[in-house]
Amino acid sequence: MARLVVLDTPEEQAFEDIVFIASQTCGAPIAMITLLDTDRQWFKARVGLDVTETPIDQSVCRIDIDDGDMLEIVDLSQDDRTKANPLVTGERALRYYAGAPLKLRSGDVVGRLCVIDTEPRPEGLSETQKTLLSALARQAGDHLELRRIARASDRLAELQTALVQIGEGIRASADVSTMTAEASAIVGRVLDVDRTAFGLVDADVRHVMIEQDWTAPGVASIAGRHRFEDYGAIRDHLASGDPLVIEDVETDTRTADNPAAMRDVGIEALVNMPVRQNGRTVAVLIVNAAKRRIWLPEELSFLRSVADRLEAGVSRVRSDQQQELLNGEISHRLKNMLSMVQAIASQTLRDITERGPVESFEQRLVALSAAHDVLVQKSWTDADLRTVAEAVIETVGFSDSVHLTGPSVTLGPRAALSFSLVMHELMTNACKYGALCREGGRVDVNWSIADDDKDQILTVRWREQGGPPVVAPTRRGFGSKLVRLGLVGTGGVDLRYEPTGFEADLRASVQHLAEA
Amino acid sequence: MHIHKPIVLVVEDEPLLRLFATDMIEDAGFEVIDVANSAAAIAVLEARSDVRIVFTDIDMPGGINGIRLGACIRDRWPPIEIIITSGKPWPVESPLPQRAVFFSKPYRQDRVIDTIRRMAA
Repeated sequence: MARLVVLDTPEEQAFEDIVFIASQTCGAPIAMITLLDTDRQWFKARVGLDVTETPIDQSVCRIDIDDGDMLEIVDLSQDDRTKANPLVTGERALRYYAGAPLKLRSGDVVGRLCVIDTEPRPEGLSETQKTLLSALARQAGDHLELRRIARASDRLAELQTALVQIGEGIRASADVSTMTAEASAIVGRVLDVDRTAFGLVDADVRHVMIEQDWTAPGVASIAGRHRFEDYGAIRDHLASGDPLVIEDVETDTRTADNPAAMRDVGIEALVNMPVRQNGRTVAVLIVNAAKRRIWLPEELSFLRSVADRLEAGVSRVRSDQQQELLNGEISHRLKNMLSMVQAIASQTLRDITERGPVESFEQRLVALSAAHDVLVQKSWTDADLRTVAEAVIETVGFSDSVHLTGPSVTLGPRAALSFSLVMHELMTNACKYGALCREGGRVDVNWSIADDDKDQILTVRWREQGGPPVVAPTRRGFGSKLVRLGLVGTGGVDLRYEPTGFEADLRASVQHLAEA
Repeated sequence: MHIHKPIVLVVEDEPLLRLFATDMIEDAGFEVIDVANSAAAIAVLEARSDVRIVFTDIDMPGGINGIRLGACIRDRWPPIEIIITSGKPWPVESPLPQRAVFFSKPYRQDRVIDTIRRMAA
């Protein structure tokens, strides 16, 4: 417990003041705030003594520590519990001891505030001195508590920042190995451990596969496949979904039988945080330390959150990859189907002598397929107007003579397909009768968005110039009907056969375009 | 007098598409040998030395796909021209064989024929 509090922290004035007052109050040459650890006692503050710690078996403070009461020994050389203590028998020759317990709010006793004399004091402390010593010990306990809270909240903020960083990294990663590598590195640094890894667990939770781990400088990697059983009785624990938290592989019951297995890979303390999916452990976030270590509750909940986030991120990437594969496959089949339609039409219409309509058919099919290619890039969710226009122009040719200007506009799948057909008709007409059938002719396509009463309206303006004199067609063919269907199949089309060149205005609601 | 037409090897596993490609290329004045897979294509190329152009699909069952076939031809028969076609986009990670041309399916017949004529010229 004491380790959690202030062990090995710099000296602080508040504690120095408390031991000074204790020494003065009790008229004792030595006063100390002692923190008890498993193997040593450590002096948070002291007057009259020149050491900072002693082995725990020389500790007088630990005697009856669990009682939570004041301990007073008027002559250490006469008391059975202390008369053989080197501090008493040796050169320091301590004789008198009184110590009040240091309690945290949790009730945990972490040490004592004590006064020590080199002379026996048969009469002991007065009642007033005892009361004051106890009051000072409560002060010291409160200070320890405040220090602990302050440090824990600093730590929490640090972990929270790391968690945010990890979350951002996960969202930005498109593949599993980058995601886990980045998260492992952040976890490793913020927890100041020696190794972190994210390993996938096989179906019966016997093996873990670590593709890549993060290691502190000079620490060996454990990338590869490992059998849980080889490292102690840890498998059942992980299978049930509980975090495996080991502070010391030598004393922990799960690893004590063969701590060498862990030590061989440089592990003295570890956390394995299981990741669950459908009630099964599917992965584990591994943290290794090369020294014994107490894992704080906030560190464990941090690891829990990181493991959950990684799991969600990995699932997202996997499902994206599957979706992409599926989309690719569907798209491939659809395009093969369009090819079959092309082949059947071509074979069926082989003997038709008038080739114009046959070629128009094929070109429309190819334009539709080009729009499809654009949609596939974003899994058929939407497409950018310019990208669709460019793809269609590509299939017809003349891309040097067609000039596109306008902002980015999102088209839904249906709008993308109908826009591609309209674009294709305008292009083929321009090639046959309009600006593109003459050298030097050009088409300007510009589009803009303007606010209507209730809606944002996109207007696409098609302007031809440099072509032969324009004549309005006498007959409305399929191509012309396609154009008149407009951007979303509901009209909004204005066609003008100006002497300078053919012009078309196509209008549609931006919202409608995106949703269609 | 008999004039030798340039020979185009068509590799396509889907019979209807093979027939379509064969007719298209023959109508343009070329001689076509058509096979259904890469192994058969390689057998043809090993048996005769007069093939000018290979027109191949990518996705074909069994063994070698059109991408590897293209690479193999470029390696073993450097003078042969290559046209590759597929319903899938060309995979970004593989480079096209030198001088090869890629067409997305469905393709415009006139574009393909123009390319074959240019290659045969």
